[in-house]
Amino acid sequence: MKVRVEKLTKRFNDVTAVNELTAEFESGKLIALLGPSGCGKTTMLNMLSGILPVTDGKIFFDEEDVTDLPPDKREVGLVFQNYALYPHMSVLENICFPLKIKKVPKAERIKIAKEYAKMVHIDEYLDRKPKELSGGQQQRVAIARALVKKPRLLLLDEPLSNLDAKLRVEMREEIRRIQRESGVTTFFVTHDQEEASAISDYIMLMKKGVMQQFDHSRQLYNEPSNLFVADFIGAPTINQLHGEWTKEGIKLDTYDTVIPFAKGNNIPINQRIVFACRAEAIIVSNRGTVKATVVDTYLSGKDVLANLQLGEQMLRTYIADDMNPEDGMEVYLAFKEAGVFVFDEETGERYA
Amino acid sequence: MKRQEYIKNIVLYSLLTIGGIFMIFPFFWMIVTSLKTAAESNHVPPTIFPAEPIIENYFKALDIAPFGTYFMNSVMVTVCCVAITMFTTILAAYAFSKLKFPGRDKLFFLLLSMMMIPFEMLIITNYTTIVDWGLYDNLLALIIPFTSSIFYTYILRNFFMSIPDSLYYSAKVDGASDWQFLWEVMVPMAKTSLVTIGLLNAITCWNSFLWSILVIKSQGNRTLPFGLFAFTNEAGIHYELLMAGATIVVIPMIILFLFCRKSIVTGVSRGGLKG
Repeated sequence: MKVRVEKLTKRFNDVTAVNELTAEFESGKLIALLGPSGCGKTTMLNMLSGILPVTDGKIFFDEEDVTDLPPDKREVGLVFQNYALYPHMSVLENICFPLKIKKVPKAERIKIAKEYAKMVHIDEYLDRKPKELSGGQQQRVAIARALVKKPRLLLLDEPLSNLDAKLRVEMREEIRRIQRESGVTTFFVTHDQEEASAISDYIMLMKKGVMQQFDHSRQLYNEPSNLFVADFIGAPTINQLHGEWTKEGIKLDTYDTVIPFAKGNNIPINQRIVFACRAEAIIVSNRGTVKATVVDTYLSGKDVLANLQLGEQMLRTYIADDMNPEDGMEVYLAFKEAGVFVFDEETGERYA
Repeated sequence: MKRQEYIKNIVLYSLLTIGGIFMIFPFFWMIVTSLKTAAESNHVPPTIFPAEPIIENYFKALDIAPFGTYFMNSVMVTVCCVAITMFTTILAAYAFSKLKFPGRDKLFFLLLSMMMIPFEMLIITNYTTIVDWGLYDNLLALIIPFTSSIFYTYILRNFFMSIPDSLYYSAKVDGASDWQFLWEVMVPMAKTSLVTIGLLNAITCWNSFLWSILVIKSQGNRTLPFGLFAFTNEAGIHYELLMAGATIVVIPMIILFLFCRKSIVTGVSRGGLKG
């Protein structure tokens, strides 16, 4: 099912949690609502489920206006961060609950519940109570319970944040698999950009209730629309060097050499800018014009992650191990075309 | 270290034993006296164990007063009071914990402050109301004033508040109405609290005395505590008979307690939320 929101707004007293958000979400996709805490992503999810009434704007499921529909009429499945399983019911009873409410005959609902239990690989524990299960298992139950009534929309509110690191990676792949198998349009709230990039088709990145960028997961990384997006997406965090745009190129503060930059035609001369470059967009070699000093190094897999100094500004990048990087060594930098951006220092808007 | 633990246990168990004896002694004395002959029950100094335990007192007691009728009346009043009180308590606690309406908390604190008014203050107004309604000397007079409780509502409300809202929203999204959520999720989860409340309520009803002697007159409408009181006059003060009567009155409550104790304990061990 396709979802569309128009100028969706939610205000709590003076605070605007979601501000005039307009977007259309394709059917059958997994969409991550991403952002730092307090950005309005959970508020957005709760408005989709109907738990929170909207202040202004409209929500459409396909062409149907559901803005004023109560949650029990919206046919959505919801998984909470704490799973919200009914503690007095067994796993099977938990999964059966939505069907019981729908008055599906007992034999049939048990049959359906068992199918879903199998799909989320929890069918061995049907008679257990929630507290007798691990976090990952509880979550599987919660997902089965959300899916069993064949919802038009599946909503997951930070479903992985209560799990330990290894299980988190495992479960996110599981969620991806289950979502593909069921084909249900899914919203997934997270503050972890890596998690969002790993499993979702689309990411909507939000900040203080305002949508920053909504695009294919890859696009947010490759073509961030502003400095906030560039900064939020990617690990290690994108390097940000402050400076000024000149005729010859980028003049960084406290650094003499001007860095040539081909795509800067639309930047006004003397504009204050942030030169942002991803660690992997920097080529470190022994020759060149842009000189930097190695400050310290860390081993990171096959490469060495190094902090470099340009004037008084710091930059982090990978250096091939065969260069034998050591502290105090002087190296030269070159920049690839992809992964290098120029933003307005004040507004964060992207120039190039 | 170990020695200290040992001493601690001795002190602890001694205190518990003393407390236990204080609690049990009246019951013990009641039962023992009920097994004595009339002469022995008035003997000075009193004997601890009856020289020859006899059971006739029970038959006599049952013969003198219609305990069967009293018992049925007590059961009737208690069952009605507890059932209706539980129902109103559950609904009120739910409204005051999970529903959102303007002035909810203010209203609740107003109700709580009414607990400060002692029952004795209400007796006169309640009495007039009952007489006005033509319910004097009617079992309904023992039921109607006791069909709700602020105190139990308060206890249950606190428990309901501890149930996370995510369960509520989850049930809502699963298609449940407030009514279904209350009876399918909240009430089963609150089983422990409900048993405790029900038990306290049942004991209070069963033992209710002052109000009964005010609004009930005829023998056919008396409850057990009232019957027992009247018994002292009907039989003269024969302590051995009185004690036999008292034993008959107390036994159902003791059985109820023993029966519920099990579900209280399992309820407690099963309660609590993980996640």
